[in-house]
Amino acid sequence: MSTHLKPWLLIPATAAALAGGLIWLSHLRYELSLETQRVTTEKKNIEQESNQLRLEIASLTRPERLRQYARDSLNMAPPSPIQVIHQ
Amino acid sequence: MISKEHTFIRRRIEAVAGVLALGILMLGVRAVDLQWLQADHLTNLAEKQRYRQFTTVAPRGPILDQKGRILAKSIETPSLAAIAGEVPSDRISELAKALGISHKKLQHKLNKRKGFVWLARQVPPTVARKVMALNVPGVRQETEWQRYHPLGPETGHLLGFVGIDGRGLEGIERTWNTQLSGESGLRQVRRDARGHSLPDGHWVREPAAGQAITLTLDASIQSIAYAALAEGVRNQNAKGGSVVVMRPQDGAILAMTSWPGYNPNSFRHYRPSDWRNRAITDVFEPGSTLKPFTVAAALESGRWQPDTQVYCEKGAMRIADYIIHDDHAEEWLDVTGVLVRSSNIGSAKMALDIGARPLHNMMEKAGFGKRSGTGLSGESPGIVLPPERWGPVETANIAFGQGIAVTPLQLATAFSVLANDGVHVTPSLFADQLGQHAPTRVMSSTIARQVTQMLEYATSEDGTGSQAVPAGYHVAGKTGTAQKPNPRGGYSKGKYNAVFAGFAPVNDPQLVIIVLIDEPQKSIYGGQVAAPIFRQIAESALPYLGIPARFDHLGDEQDLNNQTWRTMPIAAEKSILDSESLFGMSMREVRHFSAQRGLRLHVHGSGWVIRQKPTATSGLKHGETLEVWLNE
Repeated sequence: MSTHLKPWLLIPATAAALAGGLIWLSHLRYELSLETQRVTTEKKNIEQESNQLRLEIASLTRPERLRQYARDSLNMAPPSPIQVIHQ
Repeated sequence: MISKEHTFIRRRIEAVAGVLALGILMLGVRAVDLQWLQADHLTNLAEKQRYRQFTTVAPRGPILDQKGRILAKSIETPSLAAIAGEVPSDRISELAKALGISHKKLQHKLNKRKGFVWLARQVPPTVARKVMALNVPGVRQETEWQRYHPLGPETGHLLGFVGIDGRGLEGIERTWNTQLSGESGLRQVRRDARGHSLPDGHWVREPAAGQAITLTLDASIQSIAYAALAEGVRNQNAKGGSVVVMRPQDGAILAMTSWPGYNPNSFRHYRPSDWRNRAITDVFEPGSTLKPFTVAAALESGRWQPDTQVYCEKGAMRIADYIIHDDHAEEWLDVTGVLVRSSNIGSAKMALDIGARPLHNMMEKAGFGKRSGTGLSGESPGIVLPPERWGPVETANIAFGQGIAVTPLQLATAFSVLANDGVHVTPSLFADQLGQHAPTRVMSSTIARQVTQMLEYATSEDGTGSQAVPAGYHVAGKTGTAQKPNPRGGYSKGKYNAVFAGFAPVNDPQLVIIVLIDEPQKSIYGGQVAAPIFRQIAESALPYLGIPARFDHLGDEQDLNNQTWRTMPIAAEKSILDSESLFGMSMREVRHFSAQRGLRLHVHGSGWVIRQKPTATSGLKHGETLEVWLNE
């Protein structure tokens, strides 16, 4: 058996292993690229959503709306300057 | 026989070899053709198939207020488009229904041309989803950036708006369009057979996001000013108005607002004349609000002192062929009295005494007659005649604010000079531009203080501006009423501008506020029309800025630290909404509490709640009984 194992066989074996490795690597690279694209899209969507939510916060907390809410729903009135305490 | 057969076989072999050779030759020719002659064209084709370019649109930069609150922001919004030729005619009515437009209108849109047409731009995502769910051939969804101004009309005039193509068309959006708009990027990627991008993409052109702009504006003060102005204009049935609020120390514009307002989010529904930022584009005759500068020029000349007496001619004085009137006929007044009583004759006499040039210099140094330097488009420089054209009549008129035109912003800048101990600071709207211009001295600090003191008298009980003073603060300010000029060159009858210009608190001015009301109907006087709006803004904005109200009547006996404020019980009250216990509530609050929840209330005693039944109120349903015992 051992007579078949000639030292020169090492060369094609190594070449085959390297070729296999190369194929595996390029496949990995391709898979990763797909993953990156997916994550990038997700990131973009999240950014967009956060943008929209920020705007919604700005819109919901605009002073005029809060004033109206405080006055109409909570029966509040603006304090006169003497009712404001500073620390 | 054999040789004949051999010959035949040979011929056949030769024929096949010939055909093969011809085939190989043709392959060679084709190879040369493809690899050499057509190489460029084919490489091109292959690359087109393999490479794809994406355009990434850079968002427009946001506009923020000084506390980072969003005043304008762009969001991605779906728009619906179609290739008109591909839309089947039997599905048009279905599509029109989903889009919310009439069949006829959609038909008209699709008939315009065969290729790309917009169906609806910048639609709500729900509409886009509904339309795309129909899956009509030829209809597609695109993404566009839509600009949104959350404060709406409050910041409408100042910020302006952005057109559907993303270009600023008015206000700050227009003036600073270059900084705000980003540059779109171009990215090239390689695709595999399945259309997925391969990892080695690169930017042909990197996108550059639009820059954010931080304003000196404060959204809360802007909102306070807008609400106060709106109420004032409505009360007076006036045509319009403007308010400018400025911090005198550094010229930061904290609020700038005009009425009538318009909503920049739907700017097309308003007339273009409503888009105008009146606080900088419209000029008005400042009337008596200019007198403090006449007085300052007189004091600066050294010929006048605050207690110098001037005879006010019992209400009418002739200059050349022109007669000047006072609203209240006066005889002898000192300089302070001229300002407090707002005497036209007294101011005119001072101006005539010192001459045109010193008065003109004062006006010029205070910032009248030139653009204020904020850089906003459409800003008017106002009208100040060159001093060569100031005859005695003009000089006398300008002394009390006629024959000169200013913008509310200019007046705010000029009053900042008085608030700043005589130093002029260029107003600024941008947080990063504050303090870029060197301040210039307009008058000595002594004179600025003297004039300020006179302006404080003008808002005292006897002064014209008494309604401008919020409880607990001292205000220095001046009222003004000016007849509006008509287009023919004279003055309109019955059309007035009412103005109040002032600053507070007097000892350490934090706010300069200018209120201009255009054609008030119920009263024409600045003291009755504009001063209450000033008070309303000041009494909300000063506590907001952390400037405490002070009480003079507690004054002398106590030391400075204790005299400042009184604790009001309301501030220490527990919120009735989130507490289950009614303990410590007053009768009124308990009534309010039970009325809100529809409970039947039994009350024992009076004063404050010390016991209640049931102890947990949250479980009580509408119509159930709540019993409370009060402490007395």
